[in-house]
Amino acid sequence: MRRGFRQSMAWLHTWSGLVTGWVMFCVFVTGTATYYRTDISLWMRPELRAAAVAPGVAAERGAAYLKVHAPKAVSWFVSLPQEDRPLIGVYWLDSFEAPIRQASLDAETGQPTTARATQGGDFLYRFHYELQMMPMLGRWIVGASALVLLVALVSGIVTHRRIFADFFTFRRDRSAQRGWLDAHNVTGVLALPFHLMITYTGIVTLAFTLMPWGIASAYRGDEMRFYVEAGQTPAWRAAAGRPAEALPLAPLVDRARAEVSEPLEMVIVNNPGDAASTVVAVFEEPKGLAHRHPQVAFEAVSGEVVARLGTLKPAAHAFTSFLGLHEAHFAGPALRGLFFLCGLMGSATIATGLVLWSVARAPKPGLAPGFGLRLVRGLNLGTVLGLPIGIAAFFLANRLLPVALEARAAWEGGAFFAAWGLAALVGFARPHGRTWREMGTVAGLLFLSLPLVGALTTDRGLDFVWFDLAMVAIAAGLGSGAWTLSRYEDVRRTRVARTAQTLARA
Amino acid sequence: MTPSSVLLNLALSFAGLSALCLAMDRHHRAIFHGSPSRKRARALRWTGWCGIAVSFAAAILTADWNFGPVQWLGSLTGAALVLVGLVSYRPGWVRPAAILALPLAAVAAFLA
Repeated sequence: MRRGFRQSMAWLHTWSGLVTGWVMFCVFVTGTATYYRTDISLWMRPELRAAAVAPGVAAERGAAYLKVHAPKAVSWFVSLPQEDRPLIGVYWLDSFEAPIRQASLDAETGQPTTARATQGGDFLYRFHYELQMMPMLGRWIVGASALVLLVALVSGIVTHRRIFADFFTFRRDRSAQRGWLDAHNVTGVLALPFHLMITYTGIVTLAFTLMPWGIASAYRGDEMRFYVEAGQTPAWRAAAGRPAEALPLAPLVDRARAEVSEPLEMVIVNNPGDAASTVVAVFEEPKGLAHRHPQVAFEAVSGEVVARLGTLKPAAHAFTSFLGLHEAHFAGPALRGLFFLCGLMGSATIATGLVLWSVARAPKPGLAPGFGLRLVRGLNLGTVLGLPIGIAAFFLANRLLPVALEARAAWEGGAFFAAWGLAALVGFARPHGRTWREMGTVAGLLFLSLPLVGALTTDRGLDFVWFDLAMVAIAAGLGSGAWTLSRYEDVRRTRVARTAQTLARA
Repeated sequence: MTPSSVLLNLALSFAGLSALCLAMDRHHRAIFHGSPSRKRARALRWTGWCGIAVSFAAAILTADWNFGPVQWLGSLTGAALVLVGLVSYRPGWVRPAAILALPLAAVAAFLA
């Protein structure tokens, strides 16, 4: 090798980081927000309050709706009201090829809810791994970017010569480039265990999407059997083809609840109305790292138990533990806060890395920036500030769009992309330091307006005070970050101007 | 995994990391206006690693082997971020904050 190992790793780190940076920044920011998915969903459905309905009764209400609206479905799913989602969610598959359909029911009446239609926190959650594209395409893009990010992480560790010597070092009084490099290093190194864990487990989560061939060749078109053998789902029982009257759901559900101590999360009815129909009670994850759900399956007509799922085989247990670590459903409020902080640090590492690329390549005074630099600067602005502006617009749309609007949930998503697109266009039109300050101020003001708009349009008093405080903190962070950024640019400009003056005098 | 057990981890990690930070010449000079003697640096380094080890033990004791390591690493990251902020913006606060972290850890340990 002509050049040193470290230089080639530096080259690899620079370019692998640059090409995945924009996608991964979006994935990190929306993923970090997803740690508070249920809180976001609650905020976005201000009409809903906690409802105390017995799980069995709620399951029967969901099934009653489905009997009328989806009698020919192959599967019904009734998700039961939880503290953080006081609704009955019904989902159904008309055939295995058909897309899943859904409705939200009022927990008290079993009728379609009158609460505003919204995707809630699920919008950001799905964006996190599908980018709101066609699911498979989005997952492939996210998965491929995450693979390259893992390369960037490892090459970054090799490149960083002074991990321990500079562990606590953030020199904000030196040059702009020094400051950005220190910020990149500090946020990257201090949360390195998180960055490695979250990137690796994220790739593992998408493993079956990225590498479907193992299961495809071993199970030859019967992929379902893989999940059955791994102990993740009960075996599918084929329909008998003749109708039969099923037992009422509530007693079955209560029998399942007597066996499992976790709260009931969902009731599934396979082949509803058929003589070979199956009822599956799915429970929440027990306390532990692994993401797994205990299940009890009944024969719907006779009420006999046909399967009990609880413990997993070792490989499946390892896989679900990775999933559990990634999602951190186990984390209480304090630990969740630390996960959130680490997510923010990951976003900051990527953002500072992207900015560093452009700062390090700033043209000499008097020279115009080339096309590549202009492109990167525009993309940086459009991503690092454009995405937060989109998220703020998404939240604002939730409060400001009329509750009865047709296709309301889609309009919220529209607001997200419209605001983001507009911000990106501004970024491309004027990729300057001043634009950072202006757009950062706009983003900050948008987040700052959320508590106010929320208070004016809803009557929930102090119910959402934590959400409001978080919005104010985000506004402060965005505002001060953008001002710091443009100050660096100004310092350089005045320094350049001073040099020019000195030269002119001489 | 209660908030007080996370607080205990944060306080111990902060105290330990502060000692490690002060054992380094650059940060010691910025905070105490002078290089540490070799003996002092070694004592600080030992204190620091002990603090981190005690923090690990506390994580295992209060959150068992399942979540303990996760909580320990997370609190190290959180404490280190606060410390870097202080070192850069308020270097004078590092020593009082590290000393204050110890009784805080004791209170948290009592609650956890």
